Amino acid sequence: MTEHWERCIRLKEPLKTRPFLIFAGIAGLGLLLGLYREVTGLGYVTGLNDGYSWGLFKNWNVTALTALGSGGYAVAVLAWIFNEKRFHPIMRTAVLTSLLGYGTGMLALGFDVGRPWNFVWLADPRTWNHYSVLWEVAVCMTAYFMLALDVENMPPFLEFLYKSNDPKKKDLALRIFRFMQRTFPFGIAIAFVLPSMHQSSLGSLMYLAGPRVHPLWQTPMLPLLYLLMAYILGFACVLLVLALSAYSWNLGWDKEILGRLAQVMSWTTLIWLAVRFADLSYRGALGLALTFDKFSIYFLAETALILVPSLMLLLRAQREAPGSLFRWTFLMALGGLFYRFTPTTLAFSPLGDYRYFPSSFEILMSIGFTALAVAVFLYAVKTFAILPASRGKIAAEEAMRPFDTL
Amino acid sequence: MDANRREILKALMGGSAVAALATTGLPLATQAKPEKFELEPDALGLLYDATKCIGCRACMPACQNANGLAADVGGSGGLYMQPDTLNAHTKNLIKLYVAADGHERSFMKQQCMHCVDPACVSGCPMEALHKEPHGVVGWSSTLCIGCRYCQVACPFNIPKFEWDKVNPKIVKCELCRHIVGSTATEPACTKVCPTHAVIYGKRSDLLAEAKRRIKEKPGFYFEDRVYGEFEAGGTQCLVLSHVDYSNLGLPKLGKESPAAQTRKVSDFVYRGFLTPVVVYGGIVAIVRNRWKEHLEHAGHSDSGETHGEEKRA
Repeated sequence: MTEHWERCIRLKEPLKTRPFLIFAGIAGLGLLLGLYREVTGLGYVTGLNDGYSWGLFKNWNVTALTALGSGGYAVAVLAWIFNEKRFHPIMRTAVLTSLLGYGTGMLALGFDVGRPWNFVWLADPRTWNHYSVLWEVAVCMTAYFMLALDVENMPPFLEFLYKSNDPKKKDLALRIFRFMQRTFPFGIAIAFVLPSMHQSSLGSLMYLAGPRVHPLWQTPMLPLLYLLMAYILGFACVLLVLALSAYSWNLGWDKEILGRLAQVMSWTTLIWLAVRFADLSYRGALGLALTFDKFSIYFLAETALILVPSLMLLLRAQREAPGSLFRWTFLMALGGLFYRFTPTTLAFSPLGDYRYFPSSFEILMSIGFTALAVAVFLYAVKTFAILPASRGKIAAEEAMRPFDTL
Repeated sequence: MDANRREILKALMGGSAVAALATTGLPLATQAKPEKFELEPDALGLLYDATKCIGCRACMPACQNANGLAADVGGSGGLYMQPDTLNAHTKNLIKLYVAADGHERSFMKQQCMHCVDPACVSGCPMEALHKEPHGVVGWSSTLCIGCRYCQVACPFNIPKFEWDKVNPKIVKCELCRHIVGSTATEPACTKVCPTHAVIYGKRSDLLAEAKRRIKEKPGFYFEDRVYGEFEAGGTQCLVLSHVDYSNLGLPKLGKESPAAQTRKVSDFVYRGFLTPVVVYGGIVAIVRNRWKEHLEHAGHSDSGETHGEEKRA
C-alpha cells in the first residue's frame, strides 16, 4: 500500500478529457465576462458599493486564495531551511500550485482595479508611496509572481526543452539550468523573503481600516496571523492537490511525505491558535467571542474549523488513512480561508447602511479564474514532469538526470 | 564547527551585500521623503457648527456647481436634488439627525474631514491621494489605479467611486482647491452659507474660534469639545454640535491616526528594510550549505543506485 515518491513524472494521458474541457469552458466564460466588465463600469456587473468597495475579487481571490497559493513557499521552507529532504519530490507540485494560486489572484486584481491603465506609473519610483501597505503588496506580489515563481517553475520546462531534438534548444536548456544551479541559494532566498513580506502585509492592509474591522479580528498581530495562515493554507493546498492527484491518476500514496506534511501543518495551526488567543486575551477581546452575535458565531465557526482538524491530524491513525487525511485537511483549509476572508468582508463594517453580496456575474468571474488555474494544472501535469511518483511508475525515459536536482 | 560558523557568517555578509545593493534605493528614498504626517502651521480647514445650521442646503448646489457635478435627483423621483448619502455625484451633504424620542435633533454637514494624517493618503499605493499645500487632501486622476483602498481605509467613509463609469474617478471634497486662490477666495459651501454655520480658514484660527464658542456657552456643546481636534490624529475640518457626535456619523476614534498605528507596526517589523535584508542573508547562508549537500547527494546517486534507500534510512 505505502509507496515512496522519488521523483517527478509526466502523466501520459490525453489532455482533452471531460474535466479539462469543463474547467477550460468555465475559465473561458470567466475571462469573457472579465472582458465585458472592462467595457462597462464595475457597478453594473458586481455587487460592490461605496461601503463595501472590496469584494470577492480582492478579498477572496487575492487575500484568501494567494494564501492557498503559498504552498511552494511553505514546503520549500521545510525542505531547505528545516532540511526535510523527503519533501524534494513534491517541490514541483508545490511551486506549480503557487504559480496558479497567485495567478488567479493577479488576474482578479487586474479586472478589479478601476483604472488599470495607470499601472504604467508603477515603473516610475517617484510615484511610489513607500508608506502604503498596498504598494508593498502590489510590488512584492508582482515581483514574486512575475519573477521568482516563474524561475522556480522553470526546471520542468527546461527538461521539456532538453528533450527536443534541436541541439540549440538542448544547449540553451542546459545553460539556463547550470546558471540556476550556480545561483540557486540566492534565488530561492528571494522566493522566501518576498512572500513573507506580502503575505504578512495582506494582514496589515486591514489594520489601516482601524475600528471598521471587528475587534475579534482587528489587531496589530494581523501580519503575523496572516503569515502563519499562509503557511498553513500552503501546506493544506499541496496536501489536497497531491491527495486528489494520487487518487485520480493512481500515483500511489507516500504516507511519509503526506503524513509529515499534515503533522507540520497541524503544529503550525496550534501555534497560530496560541498566538490568536494570546492576542485576544491580551487585548481583552476574548469576551466578545461568547456574545453569540453574528461576529461571535463567525469567530466560533472559524475557530472550530481550524482547531478540530488540527487536533485530529495530530493522531497518527487519522494522518495515515488517506480518506481521513483528506477530509480533515479540507476542513482546515475551509477554516483557514474563512479566517483570511473574514476581516476584509464579514467583520468589516462601514459607516452607514451598506450591504454587499457578490453578484452572480462576480461569482462566475471568480470561479472562472479558479477554473483557469485547474485547467492549467491539468495541462501542466500532462505536459511536464511535475507530479511525484514511486520508482515503479518512473519510466526509463523520465530518468532525466541533469535536471533532477530541481 | 568553527569553520562552519565562519562560513555561515561569510555567506551571511555576502548575501546581505547583494540584497543591500538591490534595495539601497528603497530605504534611502523612504528617509529622503519629507514627513507629511504632522499638522502644517498654515493648514486650512472648515468649522461647521451644527447649532447654527438651519438646514437650507444652499451649500449643496453650490458645491455641485463649483465642482461641475450633476445633481443627484434619485431620492426625489427626478424632481430636485435629493441625495441620501455621499456618492459619486455628491461631495457635500447636509443630513438631519432626529433622536428616537423626537426631541433631540441636529444637522450634520458630511464631507471629507481633511485629516492631518489621513488613512487614505497613507494607504494610496501611488500617491494619487496626497496632501496638497495647506494640508488639503487632494486626488489626482493621472496616478489613481482605482484600487479603492482609500474607501476601505477612511474611518469616515468619505471617498466615493464612480461605479457606473469605465473611466471611474474617486470623488471627495478637495476644499475647492481648483478655484480657491484663482477665481474664488473660499470654498463654495462657506461662501453661500447664510448663517455662517460653516466657515473657512486656518485650522488654528478655527480651533480657537470653536473653543471660544464653547467657553462662551459652557455645557451647550456636546461634552464641551470640538470633534476633530484629536480624533484620528486630528482633522482639519472641525465640527461642533450639541448632540453626541457618534449620532452624526462621526465615529469615536482614538488620538492616534490609524495611519500612524499602521506605520508603527510596519516600522517594528521592517526596521527601515533592515529585516528583509538580514533575513535574506540568513536564508542564503543556510541554503548554500544545504544546496551543496543536495548536489553532492544527487551526484552520488547518479553512479550508485541507492537513491531512495539512503534518503529514507
